[in-house]
Amino acid sequence: MAIIKGPAEWRSVLLARAGAYDPDGSLAEAERAGAWVTWRKTAPTQSPASIIRSVSTADLRGRGGAGYPTGRKWQTVAAQGSDRRYVVANGYEADPGAQLDRTLMETDPHLVLEGLALAAFAVGARESFIAVKATYTTAVRRLRAAIRSAEEAGYIGQDALGAGFDLHIELRELQGAFVLGEETALLRSIEGKRPQPDQRPPYPAERGLWDKPTVVNNVETLAAVPWIVANGGEAYAKLGMNGQAGTTLVQLGGTVNRAGVAEVPMGIPLRDLLRGVAGGEPRGRLKALFIGGPSGGFLPPEALDTQLTPGSLSEMGAIMGSGSILALDGTTCLVDLATLMTRFMGDEACGKTIPCRIGTRRLYEIGERYITGRTRPTDQQLMADLCSDIRDGALCGHEISATNPLLSGMRYFRDEFDAHILRGECPAGVCRPLPPVAAQTPAAAPVSPRA
Amino acid sequence: MIRLPGLGIVRGMLFTFRKMFEPKVTVQYPEVIQDISPKHRGRLLLLYDEWGALKCETCFQCAQACPIECIDMGGVDTRNRFHVHWGPAEQYAERREESAPRRAGRVVPDATFRAWDPIDITGVERVLAEVDYDPAKMVTILERTQDAYGFLPVAALQHISHSTGAWYSEIYGIASFYDHLRLEPASTRTVGVCRCATCVVQGAGRIREALEEALRTELGGTSPDGRVRLDGIDCQGESHPFVTLDGRLQPDMTAERATALAAELRGPVPHGRPA
Repeated sequence: MAIIKGPAEWRSVLLARAGAYDPDGSLAEAERAGAWVTWRKTAPTQSPASIIRSVSTADLRGRGGAGYPTGRKWQTVAAQGSDRRYVVANGYEADPGAQLDRTLMETDPHLVLEGLALAAFAVGARESFIAVKATYTTAVRRLRAAIRSAEEAGYIGQDALGAGFDLHIELRELQGAFVLGEETALLRSIEGKRPQPDQRPPYPAERGLWDKPTVVNNVETLAAVPWIVANGGEAYAKLGMNGQAGTTLVQLGGTVNRAGVAEVPMGIPLRDLLRGVAGGEPRGRLKALFIGGPSGGFLPPEALDTQLTPGSLSEMGAIMGSGSILALDGTTCLVDLATLMTRFMGDEACGKTIPCRIGTRRLYEIGERYITGRTRPTDQQLMADLCSDIRDGALCGHEISATNPLLSGMRYFRDEFDAHILRGECPAGVCRPLPPVAAQTPAAAPVSPRA
Repeated sequence: MIRLPGLGIVRGMLFTFRKMFEPKVTVQYPEVIQDISPKHRGRLLLLYDEWGALKCETCFQCAQACPIECIDMGGVDTRNRFHVHWGPAEQYAERREESAPRRAGRVVPDATFRAWDPIDITGVERVLAEVDYDPAKMVTILERTQDAYGFLPVAALQHISHSTGAWYSEIYGIASFYDHLRLEPASTRTVGVCRCATCVVQGAGRIREALEEALRTELGGTSPDGRVRLDGIDCQGESHPFVTLDGRLQPDMTAERATALAAELRGPVPHGRPA
């Protein structure tokens, strides 16, 4: 995926070295570009507590979507009285359309490993894992080579840097389920069990991998750590906008003028984001932004002043999610898209909780009735009830966010839904709903095609 | 023993009369609760939904929770049918193999049950030796077993269970969870469809429906003749909708072309047999 450079005043942290060295080349070449410099300087001199302190000052938040403060998570794990601790770098990019982590791991594998090493050092973990999607063969190959060369150079492995501690990094290739992106499911998968999410609390920070305290961070979060340790937490906190700290990766797609992966300041209003990296206003008339991957939400053009933070996006009905931002124009039917995204989430439900397993399927069926014009009079109320029940009964983030596409669609694009439900029309001309039969009584209404 | 006509019936009636005059035992159930064996689990039943379809999703949580491993099951999701078997899976297949020829008068081949056929275990034995019989590496074991056999035969899963000590239900739970692990014999061709938002905007949803309709299977399944598998894949590259055939990109795919492609892959349907 193409990397889009932002305006010069946006500092680049995560993609700063993209293209500066050949990721398939030697370690020496990567080091000339600045890899592992922070690790070699800090690890023997700084204490783990001071690294955690700088990460806390930096207000670095989890980039996996939830936005939990990383410093606090590390603090919790470091404070646990346990003989073993683990760090897991989550490079399993579940969204089939997102390639942000992939771009990061492919262009700068050493940065991710250095961040992982710093995290492991900070919390006192001897063993760390980096989980990567098995289909990302290039990323896997480059990360493996990077781990091997770092071990040979003595940066990680037995007696890392000669400073008297062990630091093993193991790469795990995973594939085959969307829910693996969820942290507890990811841990179960690394343990070799059926990867279904577990109830939280206890959080992985207290009882994670093999019931030991475990830090689970996205690779994007970890990749920011070397910069924070080198330049200080305050400097990183200043990189964001509107009181937010740092930078984040987003992926632009749809009708934007420039598609690709870009690094943008956290907290930036979406309007400025589009102006800065997407080549200005999207082509055609912007109808909606679909933010956060399959479980994301739609935002109308009026909401372009929303800031890019997990909090303000979820207030508006979307999520940070995978970080993908899709611009849609008038040729896209939002009812159709929302229904198919719900179907994806229902298909990928792991089956552990019933509201998720059955509820998302029922939600998708309601959406399918909207598309085909076979709506029942009770469907809208049923959908609202079902969405709130699914969210209440949720075990993990999967089902909470699975309701986003339909809920945010109903919230901002009521007219389009009503056109399908009441008049049997699709304004975008994508689906072909049947016109409603005026004389049809509820009892005689055609039943679901799945009955 | 003397053989007299009528002696048998006298013996039988003697037993009956003896029982008749014995004291009766009636437990007033809700008030009095009889002692039952601690191993007794009652009768296991599966629930059906309002349309008569099984609600069981073979998630194996009951089998994993059962302390004495009395629950075991197998689920197959081919032919758009959902089979749930009670008891050990191989036992079910045996029963079927006995009864089917008896009723039909000949051996009935059924691709659905090929997974239960006996296998040559040297392949799975080599895989197990490579990972030192470590049940914690179950996903690796299953992936390599699939590489060796093309799919995961039930006999191989049983062998892994016996050799590593992991419960069969755990192994089956893992094998049935991942999309890339297959329990049915491998197909010759694979069609992949991306389900990401960008592809759906470009019509991937309709292509998927067309393929499911034409191949008569759901995403993640194999067509009834076992020739074509339909997979959900990750978006790669800039082309949307992203549809692949055996890993090669199929550019400019539409629902109509997808139907034509599926028909071409399935080949002519033999006359007189249900498609």
